[in-house]
Amino acid sequence: MTETTVRDEDLRRRLLAIVAEEGMVKDREIAEDQRLEDLGIASADFVMILMAIEEKFGVYVPVDSRLTEAETVGDLLDAVCHHIEEHEKKAES
Amino acid sequence: MRPVAITGRGAVTAAGVGADRLWEAAREGRSAVGEVRFPRIHRQQVKRAARISDADYEALLAAAKPRFQDRTAILALAAAREAVAEAGLGAGDFGDRCGVVVGSGFGGAETLERNYVRFVEDPAARSDAMSIPKIMTSSAASWISMEWKATGPALCVSTACSSATQSIGIAADLIRAGVVDRCLAGGSESLLFDGVFAAWEALHVMTTDRCRPFSKDRTGMVLGEGAGIVVLESMEAARARGAEILAELVGYASTSDAGDLLRPDPAGAAACVRRAITASGVDPSRIGYCNAHGTGTIANDVTETRALREVFGDAFDGLAVSSTKPIHGHALGAGGALEFIVTVEALRAQIAPPTIDFLGIDPAIGFDPVANVARPFSADAALSNSFAFGGINASLVVTLPGRG
Repeated sequence: MTETTVRDEDLRRRLLAIVAEEGMVKDREIAEDQRLEDLGIASADFVMILMAIEEKFGVYVPVDSRLTEAETVGDLLDAVCHHIEEHEKKAES
Repeated sequence: MRPVAITGRGAVTAAGVGADRLWEAAREGRSAVGEVRFPRIHRQQVKRAARISDADYEALLAAAKPRFQDRTAILALAAAREAVAEAGLGAGDFGDRCGVVVGSGFGGAETLERNYVRFVEDPAARSDAMSIPKIMTSSAASWISMEWKATGPALCVSTACSSATQSIGIAADLIRAGVVDRCLAGGSESLLFDGVFAAWEALHVMTTDRCRPFSKDRTGMVLGEGAGIVVLESMEAARARGAEILAELVGYASTSDAGDLLRPDPAGAAACVRRAITASGVDPSRIGYCNAHGTGTIANDVTETRALREVFGDAFDGLAVSSTKPIHGHALGAGGALEFIVTVEALRAQIAPPTIDFLGIDPAIGFDPVANVARPFSADAALSNSFAFGGINASLVVTLPGRG
């Protein structure tokens, strides 16, 4: 396993915990393949999740098409990871 | 519905003081959005908004009573003075036959913020005794009624982004019901202050990029501030005093999604647009221009497109739809009035102002919203939409004079 994927896995784990906490879902009940709708995560929860990500990672994630089209927890994590990567690229350049 | 005459317009926006400044900027696709800095925000993420220039605001202050008036009221009064002057109203045209309906989403944000900052820094210090009358959302309506001694009903409609559109619609209803002969109607908003801006950032609907309504790769809205006021009169009252009728307000409707607080519902938006058009008695094929709510958020633009397609059907392809929010910013409680003024001017000039910063068609939307460059059209009716958080929708239909 390369260093990057270890880091990615760690990032996804941390993000998953944020989604669980802010979406008020029990940690052990959340998994990437679960549908946001089934977990009762609605528009207002999205805002809380993005706010927590901003606090913890210092990255502002506007609601773009990737995010609105997210159907599963995994889709949501993909969209957020994309923003975090873009943010880091920008910070490096 | 019986047409109501539009005889005066006034606007103060980041594009300048005057309805003409607003229309020129919209027509030419010249954005008034610029960089804004809020020193008290710890880590400011969004750095652009359409703020009125300091020079313009200082000029307005010279004719204002800042001890008693929040920036919101000062902007509203300036817009009202322009509208009254254009309409040519004299002292005898007010009194109890004139109403005032001026909306605001937030009310006196500047005063509220200043007061809280002072209170937190020094709780022992005396609060500004005028804080409450400056902060109340109805303050602008009161100041306008006082300036011209308009003693008919004065209302403040506070329905977020639909405030001004509902205000104009309700003013027309008051006139049609015979409660008054004329109304000064519109909205005012000024909330580009640290604490309120930080709260907007927290909602994550603002873009850190540019506001690109209906475009692919759009990432949100941009805030603005300003005031827009129009003079509305019964046709009889306008004709009796020989006023020039700029356009006729022929349709108004408002609906509530009664659904999600933040996510708009295409069915609610469609019902609103359809009812406004039905009320106007104008066939949809006669409507040549729609000034869309078009915030540049993913959700609004998809929802609004779906609603317009549903209502207009085959006529949608012949309709020029654009959003001027990248020009004047989303002015929230004033937005509907600014966009109504742009809609009236677009109709009179037969020019659809462009949706600037458009990158390309979003497959989920599938149309070209007068991308980047103004476009002529030929029609005698136009539509303006506002769809607010909380699911409150409002639409207005206007025609050229004598076509209602």
